[in-house]
Amino acid sequence: MQKKWYRLDTAALIFPAIARRDWCNVFRVSASLSEEVDPALLQRAADELRRRFPSYFVTLRKGFFWYYLEESERPVQVQSDYAYPLTYMSSRELRRNCLRILYYKNRIAVEFFHALTDGRGGSVFLANLVARYLELKYGLAIPREGLIRDLSREPESEELEDSFLKNAAEVAAGRKEEPSYRLHGTREANGFRTLTTGVVDTQALLDTAHRYGVTVTALLAAVMAESIIAMQNAERPRRRQRPVKITIPVDLRRLYNSRTLRNFSLVINVGVDPRYGDYRFEELCRSIYHQLCLGATPQNMAGMIAANVQPQQIIALRLAPVFLKNLVMDGVYRRSGESGGSLNISNITNLPLPEVMRPYVQRMEFIIGPQRSYPNNCSVLSYGGKTYINMIRSIRESELERRFFSRLVELGIAVEIESNRR
Amino acid sequence: MYCVKCGVRLQEGAQSCPLCQTPVWNPGETTAEPAYPDHYPRAHRESALSGAVALTVICLTAIVVVLTVCFKLYGALRWGGYVLSGILLFYVVVALPLWFRQPRGEVFVPVDHAAAALFVLYICLKTGGHWFLSFAFPVILASCLLSTALICLLKYVRGGRVFILGGFLLLLGGFTVLVEFFEHISFGAEMFRWSLYSLSGFGTAGLFLLIAGMIPPLRQVLRKRFFF
Repeated sequence: MQKKWYRLDTAALIFPAIARRDWCNVFRVSASLSEEVDPALLQRAADELRRRFPSYFVTLRKGFFWYYLEESERPVQVQSDYAYPLTYMSSRELRRNCLRILYYKNRIAVEFFHALTDGRGGSVFLANLVARYLELKYGLAIPREGLIRDLSREPESEELEDSFLKNAAEVAAGRKEEPSYRLHGTREANGFRTLTTGVVDTQALLDTAHRYGVTVTALLAAVMAESIIAMQNAERPRRRQRPVKITIPVDLRRLYNSRTLRNFSLVINVGVDPRYGDYRFEELCRSIYHQLCLGATPQNMAGMIAANVQPQQIIALRLAPVFLKNLVMDGVYRRSGESGGSLNISNITNLPLPEVMRPYVQRMEFIIGPQRSYPNNCSVLSYGGKTYINMIRSIRESELERRFFSRLVELGIAVEIESNRR
Repeated sequence: MYCVKCGVRLQEGAQSCPLCQTPVWNPGETTAEPAYPDHYPRAHRESALSGAVALTVICLTAIVVVLTVCFKLYGALRWGGYVLSGILLFYVVVALPLWFRQPRGEVFVPVDHAAAALFVLYICLKTGGHWFLSFAFPVILASCLLSTALICLLKYVRGGRVFILGGFLLLLGGFTVLVEFFEHISFGAEMFRWSLYSLSGFGTAGLFLLIAGMIPPLRQVLRKRFFF
């Protein structure tokens, strides 16, 4: 039988090109249940998702001109979790499967190669995996609404589409940005990732954000920017400083009313230039909030989408062999991909699971890996009245985490800290 | 249980604060249940090693083919020696670093220069030339010193990149004069036929960078225009 295959979506094109021997762009979504996970049932649930989510059960293949995703022959084997999240996904592994389903005690985690989907698509998959698992284990009748899909049906064409192509503006927005301050530290041996999770009360976070007249994402970005500014101040004089910018991924599904389960998000960099003077926290909050509001408009995003889509439409580039494209994309990524921000704060906000599932799901988390050139990243997810702020790092120093979470405490938000550090 | 320094709440049984490493006094409490198992992934090296292995196989095959052809046709190595030493040079420069997780430039650049010097020495001896010590060796040595110094300075000295690059360009200009000088004493070529042009080009660029390094606004403009 002919295997199904899929072109990479516009955002995904970059990920195979920028992967390195010890790094590729991977993220994780996880759910902690009320009881220990049964691996056999989890395997069965995973196998049953194949029909509804065919674009996730794929392998990464290299064509002459482009990479593509091909239906995987092997089932995704559920496996025991590792000592740290987001272990390296090697090219050999990507040729077998581009996602991992992991379990540890009462936790189910799914790790995706970013070329498959983004955080929102990943959380839809996890919600369905957990729903099917709960159905098999407890015989629950979970309504097919919201995030939960009917597994007996084929995916809708809208869910598999590359929504970037439909929503690009005619004129591309410029990519040029002044490089941001680069966080740095002593690299961990063997690719170890230290995860520090701050658990906070969602209402307390919302109340604090509203007190400053901003959103939760803007508040967290302001706290992060303030922490990084303090670190930079301790390191170099003002005239030699660099702008401090936070990269915020924007889920474009809401802006363009898209239902795709593939990548459909873009990032904007928000922040301040400390060389121009000191900022009070209120000023940071307002500045970042307004930058977010101005940046995340459908028109502005359409221009940024066009900047990604247009190069793909140049015939000479399309006809270039994949290794040449890799070189070009790697260069573009180095110049403008990561240099614009000091770290990401990726907030997929609240995950509304059906009422019947909630007693069985204690907690949900979203974790993005460190970028290629900067060692820290932050991801946020709210579930069941708690917000889980996951800060990951590939270096030993915990200075940024200390400043960030201590500042949240100073703002009156109680933070409970967990870590995988031994 | 709270950290006295950061003010954050810690997991029950935590031995120290994960943020500031301040020890926690928690008598009678058991150690917190770990959030992750004690199960580490196998180190992934296959992508780099597969390249190294592939190049090794290709080089070995090429060596076997060359040896077979030469001894079958001529009963001696003859031109095969040039090819073999070329393959070895290629192997040292391209394939050898792939065996290492993080190949260090300051180690491999001198190694590559040493391999190049041996390659050139072989050609010199084979062709009965007398130019190795008077030309090839000093030129390779100077190139090695210059490039290794550049790599070390860029890697270990924080900041001052404009000065480092400016100084490097000046020395590069001087290096071209040196090359022509050794060409002159080895082969009797006329002095200053071309090196002054390169010296003036590199020298001007180097001086410009040194001056730019001393004028912050100009340095700022350059940084903005040429960031990468």
